[in-house]
Amino acid sequence: MELWILFGSFTLLLLIGTPVAFCLGASSFFTVLYLGLPPVVVFQRLNSGISVFALMAIPFFIFAGDLMVRGDIARRLVALAGSMIGHLRGGLGQVNIVASLMFGGVSGSAAADASAVGGLMVPQMKARGFDVDYAVNITVVSSIIALMIPPSHNMIIYSIAAGGRLSIADLFTAGIIPGLVLAASLMIATWWVAKRRGYPTEPFPGFAMMWRLFVSAMPGLILIAIIFGGVRSGWFTASESSNIALVYALLVTVLVYRTLPLSEFIEATKGAVRTTAMVLLVIGCAACFGWLLAYLKVPAQLVEILQNISSNPLVILLLMNLILLVLGTFMDMSPLIVITTPIFLPVATAFGIDPVHFGVILILNLGIGLCTPPVGAVLFVGCAVGRISIWQAMRTIWPFYGAAFVTLMMVTYVPALSLWLPSVFK
Amino acid sequence: MKNALIRLAGLTGTIATAGLWIAGLGLILMTVFVFAQVVWRYVLGSSLFWAEPASIMLMGWFIFLGAAVGVKEGYHLSFDVGLMLMPKGWRPWFHTLSDLVVLAFGFGMAWYGWQLAARAASGVVPGLGISRLWDFAPVIGGGVLLVLFSFERVLRRAAGLRTSRFGELDDAADGMPDGLAQGGLAETMLHEPPRKER
Amino acid sequence: EITLRSSDTHPDGYPTVEGVKAMAAEVQEKTGGRICIEVFPSSQLGEEKDTIEQTQFGVIDMVRASFGSFNDIVPVTQTLSLPYLFTSPEHQHAVLDGPIGAEIAEDFAERDLIALAYYDGGARSFYNSQKPIRTVDDLKGMKFRVMQNDVFVDMMAALGANATPMPYGEVYSSIQTGVIDGAENNYPSYDSSGHAEVAKYFTLDQHLMVPELVAVSKASWEKLTPEDQEIMRTAARNSATLQRRLWADQEKASEEKVIAAGAEIVKDVDKTAFIEAMAPVYAKYVTTPEAQDLVKRVQETR
Ligand code: NA
Ligand code: NA
Repeated sequence: MELWILFGSFTLLLLIGTPVAFCLGASSFFTVLYLGLPPVVVFQRLNSGISVFALMAIPFFIFAGDLMVRGDIARRLVALAGSMIGHLRGGLGQVNIVASLMFGGVSGSAAADASAVGGLMVPQMKARGFDVDYAVNITVVSSIIALMIPPSHNMIIYSIAAGGRLSIADLFTAGIIPGLVLAASLMIATWWVAKRRGYPTEPFPGFAMMWRLFVSAMPGLILIAIIFGGVRSGWFTASESSNIALVYALLVTVLVYRTLPLSEFIEATKGAVRTTAMVLLVIGCAACFGWLLAYLKVPAQLVEILQNISSNPLVILLLMNLILLVLGTFMDMSPLIVITTPIFLPVATAFGIDPVHFGVILILNLGIGLCTPPVGAVLFVGCAVGRISIWQAMRTIWPFYGAAFVTLMMVTYVPALSLWLPSVFK
Repeated sequence: MKNALIRLAGLTGTIATAGLWIAGLGLILMTVFVFAQVVWRYVLGSSLFWAEPASIMLMGWFIFLGAAVGVKEGYHLSFDVGLMLMPKGWRPWFHTLSDLVVLAFGFGMAWYGWQLAARAASGVVPGLGISRLWDFAPVIGGGVLLVLFSFERVLRRAAGLRTSRFGELDDAADGMPDGLAQGGLAETMLHEPPRKER
Repeated sequence: EITLRSSDTHPDGYPTVEGVKAMAAEVQEKTGGRICIEVFPSSQLGEEKDTIEQTQFGVIDMVRASFGSFNDIVPVTQTLSLPYLFTSPEHQHAVLDGPIGAEIAEDFAERDLIALAYYDGGARSFYNSQKPIRTVDDLKGMKFRVMQNDVFVDMMAALGANATPMPYGEVYSSIQTGVIDGAENNYPSYDSSGHAEVAKYFTLDQHLMVPELVAVSKASWEKLTPEDQEIMRTAARNSATLQRRLWADQEKASEEKVIAAGAEIVKDVDKTAFIEAMAPVYAKYVTTPEAQDLVKRVQETR
């Protein structure tokens, strides 16, 4: 009965348009009242859920990403990507992916990637005769790359959810190769669709132009080196790297590019407050929900069910992937990390799966969920940027979903893709 | 009635603006504190042991103030497939139901946050030396604002005034779906001049 | 039939978890299955301070937490968490099983917590990646991660080292990359966290021996009959004996494991110098006559 109240009220509120954070919080509140427990626990979990130092990476990275967009770092990275691969089949579509790869090296937010890269690329692709749905599809799915390539605050959230004992630096490193594999699969899908639809390519601008764009994009590229090198060499911790990225982005835009008037800075600050307050409230409310799941022994029940189905780790991984994909279509990434990690990680480790490997699977899987309706923040951003409806985007997005799913399966069943690189750094 | 509500909207608007500014200042201070912590450790070889608890407390204020303003401005992430399927005339009732749920949760934050604060008040926040009451102050403050803002939304809707809505496309002033405009981040990008046409 | 939910931050198999499970088994047997204690390990219900609050409010029924987490609500626990107060595990057991333990239980009761048993939390010592530490001077200028607690920050200052608070999950890579030189913990955590891989010099200075408490919520306690309460108390006392033995075994096993893995254990520490260096810390935190008297009585306990 308690579980019916918890999940029932959650679903009901979700369907009538109550903000996701309050769906989680209020359904927990109602369930605690039904159980006759002192309701203080809901609000204690809410407060404890957000009073975590490493969560600070979220506002910092989001703020930094916003400054990179306003302050020209993002635009110059996109221009560089354009000069490098615009002449391939699928032209600007390929540029969109490589730009996500570069932007992913300085930002960890898929939504920021979709609005930054998509905001630049979609209008240009439209102007060059690409169909908008194609532009939006690529923008949306390729922004998952930003989650995989370090920095990634979602990896930090996972490390916290896993009990704070996993090395964030290892998780960061583990995401690199899967991120590159994802980029490659998406480029193949882009090429294939472009060929079928007969899309144009850009002329190769020449090496001189490419060099000029490379120099102008230099500060952004240096930041990639600072973040990764800094974390690996011990200048700062992984969660502090978000702060360094922010301070660096601010210095570059104000001192080097001189593109950030005070009014823009204030707007960026307000924007960062709005976005991160929303995201972190969801995380806090998910902590209440997660507490009830633990109190009602949902994880233990699930482990038992899974163990009855199969004892083969490959089958268990597939099952967990499918469950996560379904959950990912209904819920957002960070609350799902917080809710599912304590449920699935013990199952995974019980079946001999490395926690770092599992983290990479989880992030990629839930990243796909960000691109699927009904709840897909990145899909929403992409559609908003392209000014098309979700249904329009959905009709033609399948080749890209396919590429992402194939990558997910590769990452799931080839642990070395995730674990080899961290072992090199040991 | 309508005039009174418009005056109320002026007042809550001021509170929301103030909340947003305080939250923004909190974010900037957090940035400074954490950066100072790295610098101190490196340049001076010692730790600012207050920087972490102070940033965490600021983050609490920043989240709950920002989230409360988000209710007024309608930028919270939501998902209203159920509403799309029902007759248009029903929607305001369900929006009001949503607002009442938020109001109840805000009330819970303020009321039970106070109980938590009262019990913790005798303790001290490590590193800061202030009462642990302050650990829960953001929950209480955010709860009070949530009650205020969602109550206003209910009244405004009843009086036939416009309320910005969660998750509805092209509803808020910025023309972006609520919760996704990110302070016009995507909007800025759209105004970038596309590369010159050949 | 009564179900009591008990929280622990440690994983299944850890001595504290096994201790409460043993207590659960005894209670179940003696009450013919009427009272069932369910242990929720691995911080499922929250961190220690959170679960203590939940127990006080009667959200959950039982909690196992370190004295360090009670410092805010029961001041006497702060005195008993001072560095170098206990000289050995046996000294600590003698104090907690004697009249001082009974007095503390009364202080807990005033805060809606019924103290049932005192478990072993082990002794925390320093480890680092740079060099073997034998004297206080060896610590000078080194950076150590400590828990976010004013006493530990002051303790490090008194030893001439730098306290660097940071989340536990960042410690491994921070030692590996040199953000910090080391950290401090007991043998089992030194081993299970993998810190032994990156910080191989372990100095057995045993600066902290913080006891662990198993407590029941007052609200849940008052629902039990006096007979059941007595069964609970006896079972808790028995479980403490078991837990202390399990802890000693675990320490021994972890010690052997880290040594086999290449850790260098420094045992010839000049402990007196460390204890003398604590004078300013005691001067700062032991200010009331009650606390001074308590410290004196602890030191006199044999
Ligand atoms: Na990234
Ligand atoms: Na989704």
